[in-house]
Amino acid sequence: MGGNMTDIKILAFCCNWCSYAGADGAGLERRQMPATLRIIRVMCSGRIDPIFALMGFLEGADGVMVTGCHIGDCHYIDGNYKTKNRYEFLKELVDELGLEPERLRLEWISATEGSIFAQVVKEMTEQVEKLGKSPLRRGFER
Amino acid sequence: MKVLAWAKDEEIRAKGSSGGFVTAAMIAALEKGLVDEVVLVKKKNAYEGVPITTNNVEVVKECIGSMHFVPLNLSYFIKSGVKTALPTKPCDARAIIERAKRNQFNIDDVYMVGLNCGGTFNPVLAREVVLSFFEIEPETVIKEEILKGKLIIESKEGKKSVKIDEIEEEGYGRRNACKICDVNIPHMADLACGNWGVLNEKATFVEVFTDKGKEFFENAVDAGYVEFREAKKEEIEIREKIDKAMIKLAKKWREKLDEINDLDRRERLDYYIRMFEKCIGCNACKEVCPPCVCEEAKCVSMNDEMAGYKIPLYNLVRLLHLMDSCIGCGQCEDVCPVDIPLTLIHKRFSERILRKLDYIPGIDMRTPPFQETKILFD
Repeated sequence: MGGNMTDIKILAFCCNWCSYAGADGAGLERRQMPATLRIIRVMCSGRIDPIFALMGFLEGADGVMVTGCHIGDCHYIDGNYKTKNRYEFLKELVDELGLEPERLRLEWISATEGSIFAQVVKEMTEQVEKLGKSPLRRGFER
Repeated sequence: MKVLAWAKDEEIRAKGSSGGFVTAAMIAALEKGLVDEVVLVKKKNAYEGVPITTNNVEVVKECIGSMHFVPLNLSYFIKSGVKTALPTKPCDARAIIERAKRNQFNIDDVYMVGLNCGGTFNPVLAREVVLSFFEIEPETVIKEEILKGKLIIESKEGKKSVKIDEIEEEGYGRRNACKICDVNIPHMADLACGNWGVLNEKATFVEVFTDKGKEFFENAVDAGYVEFREAKKEEIEIREKIDKAMIKLAKKWREKLDEINDLDRRERLDYYIRMFEKCIGCNACKEVCPPCVCEEAKCVSMNDEMAGYKIPLYNLVRLLHLMDSCIGCGQCEDVCPVDIPLTLIHKRFSERILRKLDYIPGIDMRTPPFQETKILFD
């Protein structure tokens, strides 16, 4: 299991109706998860401006996850359609900027998918640990 | 419709850079009440022009002639609800479309009289060019002209011409935005005017694209200000040849000017950090940016200079917002006091995603992808 390098930080944006409940479910089911995760709850994944993710990187996150309801399941009907489009912009921006695209992840997780949530966090932590700390962190010198 | 047109008035025809069609048609549009006002650039000297809105025909006559040393963008001066005609370079036209998409005015109120454009010069560097390549005192220049790839400068002592390629090999010449621009004929405007395809004649090659353009053109003919004849096959071919050559040249410059292409991922990040480190946060690039219409701009309000971020949020927000709206006009680079190569940087950030989306900003009224509410990617 990942998460030995405790100073890696993964920032996850979770929508209130699906993925936040999913994260909650993962806890209720007593699933093991690396302690790298920091969650920010938003009402809908459509609220997540790509700038939030970039700000996360600048503030010291090494990886950012954007999670929301499955397509078609959005509590607000089409919130996650916008998330999808904006995420593509974010991905291109991060790639061109010179950060590894593996530091980003978009995942649709429903309220009952606690196990998937835990799995995704595990995978993401392993992935980011391989890359090391983000060069956008404050005071990062290579 | 492709025609060769010229002003009936001999004085306008002689003074205009290619037959005075644009000036004559503007006057006709004002006199016949087709438009309420026109936006023009009033010449102060060869390097300086002031944008004005006017409905006075006499003022329009004073604004005749081309100005390659004044890289202005006129799209900000269109008022909502006022019928306006204005000469538009391709970047002006694209700016107008992007601003219309963002509800700054109704596109149907605007008559875009397109001008073919091979590029404009930075006024400061143009002075240096005039002094070093032409050996003319910069302030004595009366008229400047670009013809067949040559820059022609007219002063009291007479005319002199130098090939633009020669100037550009020395690192001077057109603005970087113009060097890499591949839209030379403004096919998104209502009509396109220019001297490409005109052979030894005082006339303007006019191509009409839209009904509005046709209305504008016919108004000028009916009012008796403009005469025209159909364009010959050979003239159309020459014009197309020039356009193709310009696009090819733009591609060449795009590769030549891009110093980021050879860098690997981490070096690229270092490059961007180094570039945006220079930013002094004057917000000038935002002020002049045609597609940026926010009154309370996110890039300014989210920015915190004391945060000590590696890249200021101001620049990141702008990079993101311009990914689907940068029209490559280069206004930002012109005003940047610390010379960040913004045109190229914005181009790099938007290029790939726009290719994926098959979207080009400022070409038609399609909703900007970032604002789209249906899924555009699979």
